[in-house]
Amino acid sequence: MKTGSILAAAMALPGMLPSAHAQVTVPNATLIQFKYLYYRDYQDSGNRITVKSPALYLLAPISESWVFEIGAVYDNITGASPYYHTVLSGASGEGVEDKRAAGDITVTKYFGRTAISARAAYSTEDDYKSVAGGLTLRHATPSQNTTFTLGAGYSSDKISPADGPVFTRTKTTVDGIVGITQVLSKNDTAQVNLYYAQQRGYLTDPYKALFGVDQRPDKRDQMAALIRWNHYFEGLKASLRTSYRFYHDDWEINAHTGTIEWAQELPYGFTLTPSVRYTSQSAAFFYYDPVYDAALGPPFPPGYLNNPNGFYTSDQRLSAFGGITPGIKVAKSFVGGWSIDAKAEYYEQRADWRVGGEGSPGLQDFKAQLYQVGVSKKF
Amino acid sequence: MASHCQVRVYAPDESVAREWSDAAIAEVRRIESKYSRYQDDSVTTAINSAAGGAAIPVDAETAALLDFAAALHAQSEGLFDLTSGVLRGAWDFKAQRVPSQEAIDKLLTHVGWSKVTWLAPTLRLDAGMEIDFGGIGKEYAADRAATLLMDLGARHGLVNLGGDVRIIGPHADGNAWKIAVQDPRGNPGATIAHLEVSHGAMATSGDYERYFESDGRRYSHLLDPRTGWPVEFWRSVSVVAPIAIAAGACATVAMLTPVDRALKFLDAQGVRYLAVDSAGQRHSK
Amino acid sequence: MKQFASVFTCAGALALSVALVGCSTVQPWQKGNLAKSEMSFDHDPLQTRFEEHTYFSKEGASGGMSVGGGGCGCN
Repeated sequence: MKTGSILAAAMALPGMLPSAHAQVTVPNATLIQFKYLYYRDYQDSGNRITVKSPALYLLAPISESWVFEIGAVYDNITGASPYYHTVLSGASGEGVEDKRAAGDITVTKYFGRTAISARAAYSTEDDYKSVAGGLTLRHATPSQNTTFTLGAGYSSDKISPADGPVFTRTKTTVDGIVGITQVLSKNDTAQVNLYYAQQRGYLTDPYKALFGVDQRPDKRDQMAALIRWNHYFEGLKASLRTSYRFYHDDWEINAHTGTIEWAQELPYGFTLTPSVRYTSQSAAFFYYDPVYDAALGPPFPPGYLNNPNGFYTSDQRLSAFGGITPGIKVAKSFVGGWSIDAKAEYYEQRADWRVGGEGSPGLQDFKAQLYQVGVSKKF
Repeated sequence: MASHCQVRVYAPDESVAREWSDAAIAEVRRIESKYSRYQDDSVTTAINSAAGGAAIPVDAETAALLDFAAALHAQSEGLFDLTSGVLRGAWDFKAQRVPSQEAIDKLLTHVGWSKVTWLAPTLRLDAGMEIDFGGIGKEYAADRAATLLMDLGARHGLVNLGGDVRIIGPHADGNAWKIAVQDPRGNPGATIAHLEVSHGAMATSGDYERYFESDGRRYSHLLDPRTGWPVEFWRSVSVVAPIAIAAGACATVAMLTPVDRALKFLDAQGVRYLAVDSAGQRHSK
Repeated sequence: MKQFASVFTCAGALALSVALVGCSTVQPWQKGNLAKSEMSFDHDPLQTRFEEHTYFSKEGASGGMSVGGGGCGCN
């Protein structure tokens, strides 16, 4: 059916179409969500970090054009990270007990098909404080089939390690995003985002610098291109969500990350969502393999004394590897807007799993388990 | 609302069905009271009581309806007119008497949307003029109630207010609703066809709803606001469109338009229709 | 920098094609399936936050979804 002039006039009336037909529109319901994460990572030779995090999220439309969001999380971190490469501190991996509290507020104002959001975030832990803010603009075309997104953010972090020499360093990040969200058919919607960030300041990991050799550049320029596509299978009553992100930075890390999720609607309000994520990244140009200087021994890279002020890191996170995360989530929605969900994921990084197979050698495989349970209410 | 109204919805269980239908019925009653000519505290009464006086402010919902009425008046070349209600004074369907041209002319001076001063958010009527939302009230309420149900999570059902229907979604098994089209010359309940509709709305305008016959001619309640007289182009026009208020407006305008131009109009609006002309001939798309 | 140029062109071309394909307009009353929460890009805000935070802490790559996120000392 084409849109005649009478239908066009009718569509301008309030409440003629369900609110979910529009991409940029004031939400018509308040949402409160609570979720708890249990995370544990480890390697063959021992346990590493365990994190227990309760988190809260609230979304509330305050008036016909203002929306208010609050997020808060409290991380309880215990365990130990490797000193360098995958060398852990002691046999039992005791070491750190840290807590991190973070909160953020976002206020959004809607002007018809345009929305402007201002966000402020704060994160604090023993040795790291971060204050951040962002401004995002979204604008939808009259059909509400296309939305343009533009955003800019700034964050200022203060690093004051609790161990070792006392110092306070800062790091600032400026980032920007531009994106398009497009309805492609009654069962398809896609999004393309381009992201850019510049980090300046102290980018090194102070603990790795203390116990290992970790000297990183004081600048990092990053970019990412993300494509997401959701398709609904009417006959099967399932949503297929896929995404691909290409990442590149001037530390010479290139990464490809793909995810696939299948959300299957089941009777009695259940939804079952198996998922898989695959990522492959190259190493930072200053990452060195666990081969140490003949004279100095670990953790020093070969030839360290010839270039003691050079860039070095043994951080597994900046090595070359492939990572796979299979997962499964079950959710149940109840009458009255309540729903509960539980998700379990297993995450493993292996040098061999890198695309092409040439990951960084000599590291123990990183393994992690993630469990989330949540409850939410819409009203 | 004097006519038969129903909310039919498929829900996971009875308590949900009750919760949903109560919400839908509450919305319909809210709109009915707000725009009823008969209630002292309605918006319509407030507007009509102020006729001839100062401009009065209206709320956002009323403003949107007035904008819709203004747009429709322009698009229909005056056939759609919220001020035509005063002509009721000449056409007494109980007395079954054809009024004099004089009586109609007197009332016509108080009819005409162009005489209304609508400058959001205030509205002013000249003395003797009246606004009547009756022509769009039921369809608007059906749309609002159905949309409310969709936002609550309903995916299958419909809202039927006296023959103006807005669908939430097809039957739970995926089959379309089969909506009966009243035979314009048959007994109430006699149908000439069923239209299959899975989404959207259906509204019907007919000369059988209120009429009287005199000297072999039928005088129905569907008056051309420009002349004050009923027209006899169609026996009924049923329109299927995505939104009930749009379907109703298309049906109303088509009813007041000669057959050929009416069909061109409906085609231009891109709607489905089943219409029976004064000779009993069916036209459909 | 060459990487930048090629990726930008790729993404730009994709964005354009996505927009062009979208010229077949979907009407509001046809969006029932798109309205399902599972079909939105942010149907579970806390889950997205947890997962983004985890991968930010354990990998070299990050970003693409939002701005002004702020940092942390997580490792």
